[in-house]
Amino acid sequence: MKRHLMGAIAAGLTVALGVSGCSKGSSSGGGGDDKTIRFVAAIYDDKTKSLWDSLIKTFEEQNKGYKVNLEMVDWTQMDAKVKTYVQTKQTPDILNYNAFADFARDGLLFPASDVLSPQVSSDILPSFIDGDKYKGIQYAVPLLSSVRLFFYNKDVFKKAGIDTPPKTWDDVKADAQKIKDKDKGVFPLGLPLGAEESQAEFFMWAMNNGGGYVDQSGNWAIDSQANVDTVNYLKDLTKSGLTQPNPETTDRKDVFNEFAQGKIGMLNGAVFMPAGFINKVNAKLPYGIAPLPSKSGSTSNTLGVQDFLVAFKNNGGKKKDAVSKFLNFFYQANNVANFQKEEGFLPVTKSAGDVIANAVPYDKPFIDALPNAKFYPTGNAAWGPLANTIKEKLGTAITGDPKSVLGELQQTAQKNG
Amino acid sequence: MHDTIEAHGAGATTPAPAPPPKTSALRRLGRALAPLPWIGPAVILIAAVVLWPVIEMVRTSVLRISSSGATLGTRGTGNYRDLFDESDLVSVLLRTVVWVVGVVLVTIVVSLALGQLLNARFPGRRIVRWAVIVPWAASVLMTALTWKWMLNYYYGVVNKVLQGVGIIDHPVNWLSHPAQAMMWMMWVAVFVSLPFTSFVILAGLQTIPEDVYEAARVDGAGRARTYFRITLPLLRPSLLVAAIINVINVFNSFPIIYAMTGGGPGSKTDTSTTFMYKLAFTGSGDVGESAAMAVVNFALILILVLVYLRVVGWRGEAQS
Repeated sequence: MKRHLMGAIAAGLTVALGVSGCSKGSSSGGGGDDKTIRFVAAIYDDKTKSLWDSLIKTFEEQNKGYKVNLEMVDWTQMDAKVKTYVQTKQTPDILNYNAFADFARDGLLFPASDVLSPQVSSDILPSFIDGDKYKGIQYAVPLLSSVRLFFYNKDVFKKAGIDTPPKTWDDVKADAQKIKDKDKGVFPLGLPLGAEESQAEFFMWAMNNGGGYVDQSGNWAIDSQANVDTVNYLKDLTKSGLTQPNPETTDRKDVFNEFAQGKIGMLNGAVFMPAGFINKVNAKLPYGIAPLPSKSGSTSNTLGVQDFLVAFKNNGGKKKDAVSKFLNFFYQANNVANFQKEEGFLPVTKSAGDVIANAVPYDKPFIDALPNAKFYPTGNAAWGPLANTIKEKLGTAITGDPKSVLGELQQTAQKNG
Repeated sequence: MHDTIEAHGAGATTPAPAPPPKTSALRRLGRALAPLPWIGPAVILIAAVVLWPVIEMVRTSVLRISSSGATLGTRGTGNYRDLFDESDLVSVLLRTVVWVVGVVLVTIVVSLALGQLLNARFPGRRIVRWAVIVPWAASVLMTALTWKWMLNYYYGVVNKVLQGVGIIDHPVNWLSHPAQAMMWMMWVAVFVSLPFTSFVILAGLQTIPEDVYEAARVDGAGRARTYFRITLPLLRPSLLVAAIINVINVFNSFPIIYAMTGGGPGSKTDTSTTFMYKLAFTGSGDVGESAAMAVVNFALILILVLVYLRVVGWRGEAQS
């Protein structure tokens, strides 16, 4: 047994060395000519790889001698992979990720102005730029965005005798109660506070109660009274049996799937929910879209999310020219618009916005909601690690004491800066 | 190597009228180094795959590593202080003890019965022996994922079966309640540990000579008495091996918990092994603190095994 173990370790080590050796080889092989770049991209769905493949093919045809080595990584593996790349100094030349500020803090990135043409820079929608900056300098370039809106099942609402989607939190509770009374087979409200994306779900409810992650002056305010009240409200909904069971371990994909099957009455949905979930199961599902409900019902905020492309300063930055060529190629209106459209996400540039708004009428309410969307504090170097901690721990506030869980998260945030 | 042998051979055949002290020293050195080519590879292997990672682990535990993964210098005991400040640490460690002791105890008790069964003569024994090996041959991750789906609240077969036979009237979200989730995961851990353990015990049973049983029968010992006074004591070496290897395996077991609950909600179903992973990769992303946890884990398992060996009187075993 012991020998087996040793054998396994030895084999593992050999493989690890072999693999790292290989990628070292290929990146230094690319270092020989500065025209070969390594691009690590995230898998959003089945189409992502072929979209990048065809873009890269066109790019290589238009720019003779330049080469892009594409490496696709699943989102569930992304955090660990990126961390490994950085630690072993094997960072790609371009990375598609959802955080960047800690790389910028550690001096690993090109400022966007080094690699983007002024034309592209000025084309980016202004509402995104704040989230792309670290200490006032833009390092990240938004790749795509999504906005969340409230989805409800019209059949379920009809059966429960509800005419209009809920506007206030009291409406949500009252409507959920009606659904529960009328329809035993349906969970009234989908509330995913599991590890996949609890930082988003919590933020959507909190921001509509005047809460959020930071206060007006940009300081961490995770344990604010507004946030504690928000969790208490969600806790009360859970206790009253108005949500699916155990929100603290339910992932977003679970409730999106249940909604697609008509088993959930209402939830905070996303722009990509029809393409990614509903149409696969039941394209005829009668759903309606409304603004997110808020505590008072007067104003409705929503959550915007942007994913980024960042350029790493490898080998003293000698591939700057190739990186810059590829980025400027990608951000041409048709290229970027086609990518976002096919993936079911929202545009991040003005020119692509025009293309998409005309092509996809479904996207219009979401594009309209973008200017009022609130984003995560991605420009803060503490956000990346903090978001991971929140994902894991926030759910426990539903079963435990909201004040102490939020207090603990606040401490984590302050410790990280 | 050829040269060494040649030299050695030459040295051995020299008539040696008056051996100068210099050659003798060389010869002694040569003789001392002679085994090196044979044990060398093993020494290199141990140094490379055991000692070096341990040194690296301890070194990492005193480094300051930024959340992006860049090394920013040393930190002394800072990572350890952070680790011991984690509010979940105590409950994680206690849970680890319950996990290890519970899984290993149940595994060994069940395996004793299984080993006995596999040792008995009955038609189709070969097939049963093969069947017991299956959970061992299957990937642990696959087994864990299969159970995760079987226990799924919405679609899982476990809820359907239990509702069908009337044990529960509502579906239960098994993996969302920490206590229930731990029970199920411990069951899966037992399930995957059984093959190895029962085969070790089977091997042990087969080494017990038949004449000992015959003597017991002649002396009029009953079945229970025979089992507890003869079988169990003679199984001691097998049980020792089975227990130690299981303790180490179960303590380090990662895929079951990671696949089934991810240690969640929060850290309520983490053991120190999954907790260590989460410190580095999913939590606040502190590789240094995670390395500190790894050092603590390493120390724990060493202590655990030493205490166990002490308790069962390992030295006596080695002499007999």
